[in-house]
Amino acid sequence: MSRLIAVVILITGCLVALQIDVLSHIRLFGVVVMVVWLWPFCLGLLGAGQVAVVAGVISGLCFDAHAATTFGLNAAVGAAVAAVGLRLERQGVGDIDGAAWWTAPALSALTGVAAPLLFILAGAFTLDFSLWRGSLVLTMVVNAAAFAVLARPLLLASRTLTGLAPVRR
Amino acid sequence: MALSHSRRRAITLSALAVVTAYGLYQAGGVGNGIRGLAGGILRPFSWTVNAVATPIGHLLAGAVNYSDLVSQNQQLRAELGKAQLAASVNAGATSTLAALDAVLHLPFIGSTPSVVAQVVSVSPTNFAATVTISKGASDGLLPGMPVVANGGVVGRIIATTNHGSTVRLITDANSSLNVTFGKQATTVLVDGRGVNDGLAMGGIPVTAPLTIGQVLLSSSLSGSTMPGGLPVAKVTSISVTPGSSTYAATVAPVADLNHLSFVDVLLWEPST
Repeated sequence: MSRLIAVVILITGCLVALQIDVLSHIRLFGVVVMVVWLWPFCLGLLGAGQVAVVAGVISGLCFDAHAATTFGLNAAVGAAVAAVGLRLERQGVGDIDGAAWWTAPALSALTGVAAPLLFILAGAFTLDFSLWRGSLVLTMVVNAAAFAVLARPLLLASRTLTGLAPVRR
Repeated sequence: MALSHSRRRAITLSALAVVTAYGLYQAGGVGNGIRGLAGGILRPFSWTVNAVATPIGHLLAGAVNYSDLVSQNQQLRAELGKAQLAASVNAGATSTLAALDAVLHLPFIGSTPSVVAQVVSVSPTNFAATVTISKGASDGLLPGMPVVANGGVVGRIIATTNHGSTVRLITDANSSLNVTFGKQATTVLVDGRGVNDGLAMGGIPVTAPLTIGQVLLSSSLSGSTMPGGLPVAKVTSISVTPGSSTYAATVAPVADLNHLSFVDVLLWEPST
């Protein structure tokens, strides 16, 4: 367990740095692909348990430290998508070996659609209603497409690096 | 059941962590401390990723965009020549204007002191249009000060640390600014529409006509958040509703906000 936590923290740090220093500058149609949201979701799908939620919170907080939006919003989204991934894993959905090849990308795409919406809803709870303005639909579409493409490679890489695998039921 | 408990505990702890962090952030100074701490923790990771990614990125960009760079360089040289010519011509006009200012006691932006700062990072998120600059409170910068670059208004400082500041760009959804135009000096509010969507303004009286390409200047009304006379935006399209007493327009920032390297922070505070 301690090895898993260490590996996850290390990968989380690298991914957040990659997000801030590289991905945030490579905007697709002006939209940033939020790998810091996809990562905890993938951990959840792989059955990382509470480690996935914690990774979501840590990656979100580190990202929040660099963004001008309300502090903690990305952490809340990270935790939520990790919890959704965990729930799907518990129900045996999204298993990269057992399920159809497109299941994990499709679920990730749905996460890409839902996560920006969740971010804005969380923002509304902090009385920041300005987040509704801007290219929300474009953000959802681009993130969905990118998550669908990145999900399988990220799941496979995560499994190799962490040794995690969904429990077969 | 035990698994369910542990998961519930993790989610509760995470929620508590978020709420606590948000509370600390709202408390003010501690929030900055947490941001700084998180930045410090991430720095080694950032350094490693940059060290690997930057040369690869430059190699790819250089290979793909070389001809673009050459033509851009030629274009910049031509523009530099024009700017030098204009600067020579303007030198005489500037001294005349300064003399007029002295006589008429009008606000003259040329006399406003400024601090040059480098843009060190742009907002990494889809939901806020901000940049971070290299000068902060120790250089005399304060929240609310206007920032200009690339021939127009860029935004305003919203937060400072000792050696850095966050600038909210005029395109940010939280940004709004009074602009003035026309012979009657009509004043209208220009709102940011988000990172990718530029600016918009509505409620323009039909008695105050606009033309495509017209430059809108910051208003010098009492209580304005900017000194008057700064170029803010250019009109890109006009939308008129038949029968309405007002119309709307889409405008684009005069300054190129996608290529900010250095900015000028005007040491100017709104009058109360």
